Amino acid sequence: MIELNAATKRYGTLAAVDNVSFSVKAGEYFALLGPNGAGKTTIVKMLLDFTQPTSGSLSVNGLPSTHAASRTAVGYLAENYHIPPYLSGWQYLQRCAELLDISRSDAMDQCRRIVELIGMQGREYTKVNTYSKGMIQRFGLGAALIGNPKLLILDEPTAGLDPIGIREIRQLLESLKDQGMTIFLNSHLLSEVEKICDNAAIINRGSLLVKDVISALVKDGDTLEDVFVRFVKG
Amino acid sequence: MPKALPPIIRIAKYTLTDEVRQKSFVIMFVICAIFVFLIRSCYQGNYMVNGQVLDAGTIIRVVSKVTFHVIAAGVMLITALLSMRVFRRDRDDGMQSCILSKPIARWQYVAGKILGLWALSIIFMFILHSIVFIITSINLKVVMPEYLIASLLCSFNLLFVVVAVLLLSLLMPDIVAFLCVMGIGIVGFVADGIFAISHSQMAQAMIQQPGSQSDLTWWKFVYYLWPKLSGTQQFASSFIGSEGFHGFGSIYPLINILIYGLILGTLLFRRFRNEDII
Repeated sequence: MIELNAATKRYGTLAAVDNVSFSVKAGEYFALLGPNGAGKTTIVKMLLDFTQPTSGSLSVNGLPSTHAASRTAVGYLAENYHIPPYLSGWQYLQRCAELLDISRSDAMDQCRRIVELIGMQGREYTKVNTYSKGMIQRFGLGAALIGNPKLLILDEPTAGLDPIGIREIRQLLESLKDQGMTIFLNSHLLSEVEKICDNAAIINRGSLLVKDVISALVKDGDTLEDVFVRFVKG
Repeated sequence: MPKALPPIIRIAKYTLTDEVRQKSFVIMFVICAIFVFLIRSCYQGNYMVNGQVLDAGTIIRVVSKVTFHVIAAGVMLITALLSMRVFRRDRDDGMQSCILSKPIARWQYVAGKILGLWALSIIFMFILHSIVFIITSINLKVVMPEYLIASLLCSFNLLFVVVAVLLLSLLMPDIVAFLCVMGIGIVGFVADGIFAISHSQMAQAMIQQPGSQSDLTWWKFVYYLWPKLSGTQQFASSFIGSEGFHGFGSIYPLINILIYGLILGTLLFRRFRNEDII
């Protein structure tokens, strides 16, 4: 589903991503972990063709990430999500559905279902400029779910959410896992990742340190946090 | 190609509706409409030239033509103002990443933006010209459809402005991009004015030095290659009244602007292809 082959991104002399190779299979629940500035978001941006790799290649859905068609059936939630303040959450979801060429009646049904799923009933028709950061994040996740994507790319999906919101999002992601969706998750919240993900990769300073099944990474008595600190601090 | 069209049209629609939602746009439109309505009083005055009173028909035609030019130039300015912030606002509002995370190519996104801004500015100018057209028709009791044709011809200038400002806004701060395009327009207008004066009978009589002609060749070359915003406007306004065509010379500004639009458009698509999306 996702494949990185010696992907490198340089900004001048700085290597934001350095010769990273790994793959994520269909139905996998994958977490990309790393400290701030490790290159996680750059990898996501390269997968979505938001930025081009200096060298190496990336493919999504079996197509090079530079092809627009590789983003078919892909949902994306950015870190610090933004929605035009003059739209309502409902209008935004409708726009996302229209961009995916979903018929009007299907779009209405999907948007209604998603509003319920993200727990925003009653607030969907108010303007986005009245929403909290957490509410915007929920609508962002809702927008990513429009069109029933097969692959979800989530960059810090719980950023700005309170503990209850984090728990709700985790439960929502778990339910998506049951539907066979592939999830690529960038997160700092290691305890959440440990609960919901099957596989994880740790990167630091642009280099891949390890990629394995979480159960193999976390030995008895350890937590994912211990493993993460051990790898990052060397 | 037919599959590529729906996203372009949708992005154009969002661009248009998002601009209309902006308070600044509404204020600009109301000010322009009031200005055009105020010009109405010019039609009722008594004008004398060389001691002779001008007839109502001449007055109306002259005022309509002057208004045509003022509106066309004013809308170019407004179009540049609207275009300069489009990419930045889309980036800040998250719309750019939202659109481009879907199976939509970058060229489709840019084409949608150009189309939306162009359509909006054409509608804006056409409404203002239509107001003048209606006032003129009522006062002159003659319908001048050529006035509206001229308005549509001027829309190629707006396409040039949209593409040029969008391209420059990727390379420099928005306000500098706006000023650069306005500078190109102003230089063109001034150069056309000087060119027209230098070709008047009086100026021709004054210039009686045959040697000076060769010194002007380089400037003439630059003059003809410069984006002909003013020339296109003149060409369009030649439809109003009875001036008519004057061969290839009169259509050249339109061709010049279309070629510039094509070149700048190509550069814009190429530049945006390498742009990092935030």
